[in-house]
Amino acid sequence: MLYEVRHVTAYRYARPAAFSQHLLRLTPRETDDQRVLSTRIELTPRTEVSPERDMFGNTAHMATVTRPHESLTITATSRVERQAPSQFIFEAGAGWEQVRDQALGSSNAPPVPSVAPFIFPSAMTEPNAALRAYAAESLLPGRPLLAAASDLMSRIYRDFEYVPGATAADTLPEESFAVRRGVCQDFAHVMLACLRAFRLPARYVSGYLRTIPPEGQTRLEGADASHAWVAVWDPVFAWVDFDPTNDIVPGLDHVTLAWGRDFADVSPVSGLVVGGGAQTLSVGVDVRPLSAETA
Amino acid sequence: MAIAGPIDAAERWLTLSPAGGVHHEAVGPDGTVRPAWKGFHDWMAGEGPEGMAATARALDRARAESGIAFSPGAAATGATGATLIDPIPVILSPEDWAQVEAGVLQRARLVEATLADLYGTGPGRLLSHGTIPPGLVFGGDAFAAHAAGWEPPSPRYTYVYEADVARTAAGDWVVLADRVDAPLGDGWLIANRIATSQSVAEPFVDLGVRRVASHYARFQELLDSLTGWEGRLALLTGGDRDPRFFSHAYLARYLNAALVEPGDVTVRDRAAFVKTLDGLKKIDVMLRGVPDRTVDALHRQRTAARGAPALSAATRSGALALGNAIGSSVLAHRALAPFAPAIAERLLGEDLLLGDAPCLWLGDPEAREVVLGAEGADWCIAPLTRRPSPDDPPMPEDREGLRALLEAKGEMHVAMRTPLLAETPVLRDGRIASAPWMMRVFACWIGEEWSLAPAGVAAEIDPGSGAGGVIPALGFGKDVWVLTGSNDVPSEPSRSLLADRLAAAHLRRTGRDLLSRVADEVFWLGRNAERAEATLRLLSVCLRRYLSGNRTDADPQLLLDIVSVHAAARSGLTPAQGFREAVRALVNDTSEPFGLQATLSALRSGAVRARLSISEEGWRDIDRLCSDPRWKEGLDLRRSAELARLIEDGLRHLAAFSGAAQENLTRNYAWRFLEMGRRIERGAEIARVAENLCGEETASEESRLRAWLTFSDSASAYRNRYMMMPRAAAVLDLLVLDEANPRALAFQLLRLEEVLSELPREGPYRRPEHRQALALLTELRLLDADALAGTDERAQRGLLTALMRNCRTGLSEVSDHVSRGFFAHAEAPVALQHAARVEEG
Repeated sequence: MLYEVRHVTAYRYARPAAFSQHLLRLTPRETDDQRVLSTRIELTPRTEVSPERDMFGNTAHMATVTRPHESLTITATSRVERQAPSQFIFEAGAGWEQVRDQALGSSNAPPVPSVAPFIFPSAMTEPNAALRAYAAESLLPGRPLLAAASDLMSRIYRDFEYVPGATAADTLPEESFAVRRGVCQDFAHVMLACLRAFRLPARYVSGYLRTIPPEGQTRLEGADASHAWVAVWDPVFAWVDFDPTNDIVPGLDHVTLAWGRDFADVSPVSGLVVGGGAQTLSVGVDVRPLSAETA
Repeated sequence: MAIAGPIDAAERWLTLSPAGGVHHEAVGPDGTVRPAWKGFHDWMAGEGPEGMAATARALDRARAESGIAFSPGAAATGATGATLIDPIPVILSPEDWAQVEAGVLQRARLVEATLADLYGTGPGRLLSHGTIPPGLVFGGDAFAAHAAGWEPPSPRYTYVYEADVARTAAGDWVVLADRVDAPLGDGWLIANRIATSQSVAEPFVDLGVRRVASHYARFQELLDSLTGWEGRLALLTGGDRDPRFFSHAYLARYLNAALVEPGDVTVRDRAAFVKTLDGLKKIDVMLRGVPDRTVDALHRQRTAARGAPALSAATRSGALALGNAIGSSVLAHRALAPFAPAIAERLLGEDLLLGDAPCLWLGDPEAREVVLGAEGADWCIAPLTRRPSPDDPPMPEDREGLRALLEAKGEMHVAMRTPLLAETPVLRDGRIASAPWMMRVFACWIGEEWSLAPAGVAAEIDPGSGAGGVIPALGFGKDVWVLTGSNDVPSEPSRSLLADRLAAAHLRRTGRDLLSRVADEVFWLGRNAERAEATLRLLSVCLRRYLSGNRTDADPQLLLDIVSVHAAARSGLTPAQGFREAVRALVNDTSEPFGLQATLSALRSGAVRARLSISEEGWRDIDRLCSDPRWKEGLDLRRSAELARLIEDGLRHLAAFSGAAQENLTRNYAWRFLEMGRRIERGAEIARVAENLCGEETASEESRLRAWLTFSDSASAYRNRYMMMPRAAAVLDLLVLDEANPRALAFQLLRLEEVLSELPREGPYRRPEHRQALALLTELRLLDADALAGTDERAQRGLLTALMRNCRTGLSEVSDHVSRGFFAHAEAPVALQHAARVEEG
């Protein structure tokens, strides 16, 4: 599948802002299943962006607006080719206890430094006793981790209500778990908190989901969404994606931007402003499929 | 029973009897004084208890003086109260020190190598070889992901390193804690050394104690080479509320560094700048005295709220050398301890020279079982990468609760057990006793290698703290003396760097690089000093009249009118009651807007913050005024004579402060902002008094005019000029229009205009505050006194009242313009909303 992804973020300030600084994680990653054909970021007022790679391999851009400005628009446009991921038989994966011991370096298997950052609860994936107990229902003794993760994903999908606005950007998993509500970010954090309570390597993935309009309706501009899901590590299959918001293993409809320990590592647009007063924010995302000729 | 003679008493006084089997610093196992202590022991014997007590007092005074000079209030003396006055140093032989030095310097190299391994590009050797478990690094939130994997990697991660070191009862040196994140306690070391070398001068000189000056000279050379000829060195501090501020301020002076706070720093084009009056100035080298988790709000939004956003980007680009690097807290405190021998072998190929006090990493299930087992009580559970804090939630008392906590968060904790420690002589209640002790030692990178200051700050460890091993928060402490060995170069420069450094630092601090924040502080210091003076003067006028008993001048209604220039209105009282109540409120009520309690408290805290920009003398004047205990006595009219004396004393201190500011402050930017603050406040004050006392013609006009003249200290000037009873037009001429009278409104506007014209401006045009001041001045210049004094049919002076109100509004606008134009930094950055929540995902 070929996509053109357009992600527009617009801030308006009540008063002119003297200065603002932004960290943008809007550049899609190359993966085994995803090729990035082109990608660019533009700011209005016109501002230089400078790229840097973080320790997880994501590309972030920093932008600093030093002139007074009443609004700021950030437009990221990328063309991405997405392939169907390989199919795994989850029951064939390693048992979760074995994965945990290898990740922690307490088995005879060689240590795997690349998974080390993703084993432990982070500030936004801190479990509590309730999350731990919830996870234990899926982590039956000896069960392959991927099978357990798939079960956990399905349970979160069934048990939680998808309610935009019920939670905030800094909502912690114990809070959204208590009310069994939230959006994709919360579901991903809940799943990560569950897995990391048992020291199982899992990471937060930020990206997009193409929405397919109901039969007979046309696609609405800007109606797509930025999205988040989880990837779980297995010693043989490496990282396998799970989308608890939709109870699916991400495939052709998912476009990957970046991954990290939790939302704070990969939030697509963040920053600071001096002055400016009240902010209003509008965001539009388009994930537009392209025919092979237009690409 | 025989009465012991004086010599016997002195000997007994000095007899030290170490506990069996415990290493004692001063006395060997055979009970004789160790060679390193011989000289000091003899000196103490000569001093006797009285001499030692006098030495202790002298030392206390010397410490207090250096402390007061930098720190707010009682916090000046640091964190440990009881151990402060001990003048007995810990004396270490050259052989002892050689062991400590070799061990600490190796540890500093180990810290650097470990940070490079963890933060450099590619998988580090420690994790890929399994030398350390992943949880030690990633189990907590100390690891700074945004500072990892840089290409090219940082040239260096550490420039300073401190260790808390103790000697066990068996005589071995051990490390109690590594100080890696934001050490910079050197200020305490230097201040402590200066105080001790002055108060205990004789043995200090005679014993040939090694000096610290050459150590810091070499560090300074390195910093100079990093900054380059035109570059700037800054020391980042948390400000005067930070308990380490004393050390930061002292060290900044010593190293000739600009003392900056996170809010002063901004990052543009991947370089770090400080906000000064003259615009942004690049910083080339920064010593970091605040924890890394609190800086760089762009990359660490959850924990960093205190400014310096994007600081890591400036380090990453190489434009800024930061000591120590962001992310170094991952090795702070006890993170190195559990695996130090293995890490030393893996990264340095060396045996660890200086081991740690017993320390178990609780991410390890076996270590958890030890703590949860029968011997659990011997261990103290503490955070891995920081000091325990009183704010930490208490550890669960029951075993199951503790097990649950350790299984959930074991990686972030250690179990420590402080071994039985060696003892050293201490002076306690006038007697010599022995106590277990530890010291902090200070290392810095000097270019090719590390250097350890041949000294330390020592503290008693309370034996009662048992397994807790509570390390005291170090401030001032016992000085550690290292004796010169036969192999040491004897001719170290004995002269302290301080004199040179202070002179140079003063030049830099007062140059054009005035930080916007400091300008803001000095401006408000000027305003608050003037406001305090106005209220004191007003009360002084009222009290003198009240005490005079003169029927006209002491008329209750008139007194109430005068005091109401500042006091808030109160209803339902007779004039006499109202006056009494207003005086009481102005002196004692903290909520009274112009009251002395509020004004003096703002004045003092402002002076503390602006302390480094005003003269030493000026600071003491303010401190004497504001810290006078009589302000807390609830004085009012019932003790009016006492109150009058207190007010006169206060006015004298303020006059001394103004004098010191005029005479001792070079006419730099700091002085200009102080002057602006004063002139704005005094101008507004004159306008307020004029309107209140002279806005209408009353039967008591003559007495009111005299009150105003007294308030303005201009009664004699008036008599000299007019030789007659006060007349409104003449008084208005002298106190409003006269540009030569320092108490006249026109004089304030003239000076304000002059100072404003000297401030930096961006274009060819006058800045708005300058135009505003000029407009006010011109308006006054176009008036004559008779017109001002003119009244309408209802005896109102409409022109005067309108003009005075206009002046007050205008001056307040000037103040706002100055704030916006020069102190805009004061507005803190706020986080932008997160898009993810607006989008549905």
